[in-house]
Amino acid sequence: MAPTQPRVLIFVCNWNAYEGLDQAGRQHLNLPPEVRTLKVECMGQVGSSMIFKAFEKGADGVMLVGCTPDECHFEFGSRRAAELFEETRELAGLLGISQDRLQFLQVRAGEGAELVASVQGFVDRLAAQADEPLHWQQPDTTMEGAAGS
Amino acid sequence: MNFQPIIQRTHAYLCADCGKCTGSCPLARVDPEYSPRRIVERVISGDAEAVITDPRLWTCMTCGLCSTRCPSNVDFVRFIIEMRAEAFQAGERGVYAHDGILQEIMRLQRLNVRQHRTGWISQDIHVSESSEYLYFVGCLPYFDVIFDELDLEPLEIARSAVRLLNHVGITPIVSDEERCCGADLLLAGDVEGFRDLVKLNVEMIEATGAKKVVFTCAECYNAFKNDYPDYVGTLPFETLHLTELLAGEIEIGGLAFESLPGQVTYHDPCRMGRFLKVHEPPRAVLAAVPDLELAEMEDNRERSLCCGSPAWINCGASSKLIQREKLRQARETGARVMLTTCPKCQIHLSCASRDVAAEQKIEVTDLTSWIGQALD
Repeated sequence: MAPTQPRVLIFVCNWNAYEGLDQAGRQHLNLPPEVRTLKVECMGQVGSSMIFKAFEKGADGVMLVGCTPDECHFEFGSRRAAELFEETRELAGLLGISQDRLQFLQVRAGEGAELVASVQGFVDRLAAQADEPLHWQQPDTTMEGAAGS
Repeated sequence: MNFQPIIQRTHAYLCADCGKCTGSCPLARVDPEYSPRRIVERVISGDAEAVITDPRLWTCMTCGLCSTRCPSNVDFVRFIIEMRAEAFQAGERGVYAHDGILQEIMRLQRLNVRQHRTGWISQDIHVSESSEYLYFVGCLPYFDVIFDELDLEPLEIARSAVRLLNHVGITPIVSDEERCCGADLLLAGDVEGFRDLVKLNVEMIEATGAKKVVFTCAECYNAFKNDYPDYVGTLPFETLHLTELLAGEIEIGGLAFESLPGQVTYHDPCRMGRFLKVHEPPRAVLAAVPDLELAEMEDNRERSLCCGSPAWINCGASSKLIQREKLRQARETGARVMLTTCPKCQIHLSCASRDVAAEQKIEVTDLTSWIGQALD
């Protein structure tokens, strides 16, 4: 059955972002139910192909949450993530995938509550937009098994 | 899995085990472990499952040099493509280059995307909503983003193509609805992905009413001409490469160029040369440019050496060695520029040229952009 909420995949880096989600969990802050998170070692690993794969597999929106440049654990990871995201935005523009479906966020350590609020805002904006779905039919998604909760 | 149909369709059962394929294979020359003959023999002798899981199934460049030499007429390229399709079904994959972005873009274009891919059309060139001709641009807008660092200006190919078409009185259709031709999905074993793109492209072109489709990319042209009919039957339009159209115009005196002094060499892409036998039209176009001298490489026309890495899979040390040999042949002609009619060959060879010593470097440019400069 088609979900009523937009399906969103969030790539979170192992450091500030994941720790932020952990912290939000301890504060009993909920993420919207159709959000799936995928932990990566560093946001600088996440290139266009991974982001577009999420769309191919049925995501309505993709969010990337990494660290601010001054708190990046690999020094260059944050800069690399920004470069890769810029390429993704350009390719998304060619493919006609609305910029509203993509968001790149950099958080500081300890910003769990702000992170959850940003995710909620992203999901709300996606739910409000009347963009045509990317899939002709409901995709037979394998995202369910691939992502954590 | 039953591999008999593949053996039948590709005439692999006629293999005489002579080894001419391996002897002529540019990959076998740099990778002694790679042998087309052994791959065919393993499948025929019932060891096909092992070939499916062998990583070397994905390193063949499908350049087709072996097939031109095979005395038994075994279609080795088709053999490899069909074996890859079986391997893909079984969950095997080649090693995707560039993080798999090219495959992903192709797969995304099967969806309900509303592309904005015609932003390159400048004020000085003219396209139309309705025409006898449609210009099939291919992946150039995407290459412009992905290979930005190579500074190749791929969109200049598209602008020059339209400029040249305008020059001979054609105002072509260029469509935002165009999808990738899908050839590289087919070469990577993804038959279903290819089938979807074939259907979308043929429907799109049919809806425009165009009767002739012009290509600047050898890969797209070959896919339409040789592969599309296998999926949708005879195409409801004619296909031709821009150089074929221009060579025809030159012959009837419909096109003249300005002087463009210098010496160039021409790389026959596998698809244009061995696959489609379009050797002479690009040369006829170059010959029509005053003061432009064409110096042939040691291996040219049907013997042309591959660019080393088609299909965006398994680019590695062997690819680089083949590309170096290609650059050497090009440099030996004395030309300062190597022209080609395949944007992928241009990308691969330009990439290789970055990694070699200064005296081995050569500028690799698309023939269409180059002759675009020779218009008044």
